[in-house]
Amino acid sequence: MIAYLCQALGALPLDCLQHGFMQQALLGLLLLAPVSAVLGVEVIHFRMAFFSDAIGHSAFAGVALGLLLACDPRWTMLAFGILVGLGIVALQRRSNISSDMAIGVVFSAVVAFGLAVVSRSHGTARSMQQFLFGDILTIGPDELTFLMALVPVVFVIQAVGFNSMLLVALNPVMARAHGVRTAMWQYLFASLLAVVVIFSVWTVGVLLVTAMLIVPAGCARNISSSLRGMFWWAIAISLFSSFTGLVLSAQPWLSTATGATIVLVSCILFALSTLSRRCLQGRRG
Amino acid sequence: MAQNVLEISHLNVSFSGRTVLKDVCASLPMGGMTVFVGPNGAGKTTLLLSLLGEVPCTGSITFAEGIRSHIGYVPQSLNSETYTPITCSEFLRLSFSRRPLWLGATAAMRSKVEEALDKVGMAGMAGRSLSQLSGGQLHRVLLAGALLGSPRLLLLDEPASGVDMQGEHLFWELLDDLRKKEGISIAMVSHNLHLTAHYATHVLCVHQGSCMQGAPRDVLTAGNLMTIFGIPIHLYPDQCAASQALCPSCGAFADKEDLQYCPAGCTCAHCKTGRSLS
Repeated sequence: MIAYLCQALGALPLDCLQHGFMQQALLGLLLLAPVSAVLGVEVIHFRMAFFSDAIGHSAFAGVALGLLLACDPRWTMLAFGILVGLGIVALQRRSNISSDMAIGVVFSAVVAFGLAVVSRSHGTARSMQQFLFGDILTIGPDELTFLMALVPVVFVIQAVGFNSMLLVALNPVMARAHGVRTAMWQYLFASLLAVVVIFSVWTVGVLLVTAMLIVPAGCARNISSSLRGMFWWAIAISLFSSFTGLVLSAQPWLSTATGATIVLVSCILFALSTLSRRCLQGRRG
Repeated sequence: MAQNVLEISHLNVSFSGRTVLKDVCASLPMGGMTVFVGPNGAGKTTLLLSLLGEVPCTGSITFAEGIRSHIGYVPQSLNSETYTPITCSEFLRLSFSRRPLWLGATAAMRSKVEEALDKVGMAGMAGRSLSQLSGGQLHRVLLAGALLGSPRLLLLDEPASGVDMQGEHLFWELLDDLRKKEGISIAMVSHNLHLTAHYATHVLCVHQGSCMQGAPRDVLTAGNLMTIFGIPIHLYPDQCAASQALCPSCGAFADKEDLQYCPAGCTCAHCKTGRSLS
């Protein structure tokens, strides 16, 4: 299935896509883009941009755990990211401290733990660089298989829980009055976001993972007149940015990091959409 | 019990060792409009949230048959980003539709939304974004959302906060109309004593964790309001002469106790010097 899809992408009239690793990278981005866009829409509504940043940085500790336990760091990153996400939600629900303080405390602890462990290990510079900047070009069949399983799971959860999660974001008391299980959806969303964020760390790196989530959604918000529109525009913008960013980064005259180029393309679209919105508002006013 | 939509019995609520509600006993009449009044921090919203089961409490709250599963709630505000493009139609569909918003609405859903908006005087606003609505319009949409669940008890937390006088009056008129036409029991928190006196059928006055209840005319007396709020408030002119005397010095309303210190020391509500006669 993966080979077939890569072959189909290779049929596109672009020289850079004639290489197997580029086809795999594009396939990975085309699978990851809609998932991150959709969750980005919800991150904006839940005001969880800082939360997703904390999850991304918790990958430091995940890598450290992998080193300590002599396990594949990708799986320890994933497991630890989910634990951190659930822990932050639990701390917010059960204490009086503010949301940003709860996230800040957990964020600091996991980064410090990760750095402390990693600093004791020699020869980890390469993996740290990959962790910071991501490397979608090294994506392999295992990761693609994981993504192909993740995409339908995310969309099934969106089909079943999008309305409930939005109600929780708008007013948790009102949501419970409507019979929504707010705790369940908050924990489920945190887990799902952690999975997508950690996977995004592999592709764009921890420095840009939040941008990958929220910039397409922010751009979509500027050009949409409804939430339905925002949802689909976010997916379209994320797909366009991913494709364009990958192709541009592979050009000899540019040769930039793929993740950074993708985020730059979406940021340019965001700037254009903001200008466009202001022009339209100016005309109406 | 058939006359009351709910009974509150010996309700106590404490937060971090501080008593918010203390041995509250009250009942809300079926089909009536009960308004919770009191100063800020008295526990009105806490009492309302207790009815929703949102705060841990001791005591009991007993609902009439079929009420507990048909409670609608209108919050004071929404946690929405300023420019989040949620339309009125999308917001209302959250109340009754399992179909995810991103899949759009069917004709039946659109019809139901229009009907709900028409009921609250917001016809034709389905496509308008929530962020584009005025405070009064937003509260009407929130009310429409709560009504879509066909509630038998409607709980509202300061539904007219931030709304101008005309808008607030229209909102109360709308609630009263719904109550009379559809028999919905209403319980709401409000700071507007004049509209409470006009529209409420029952008042719960919350003060320092305790509560008194009754018809508006019996609860919102000048004496009670002076005790609770510390300022002279007269809603019923025929109560003035009986409960309030005037300070001979400044002409403002004075407590009976204060009058013994006049004319040498004026200790009425306006002058308050606390000096006794020399």
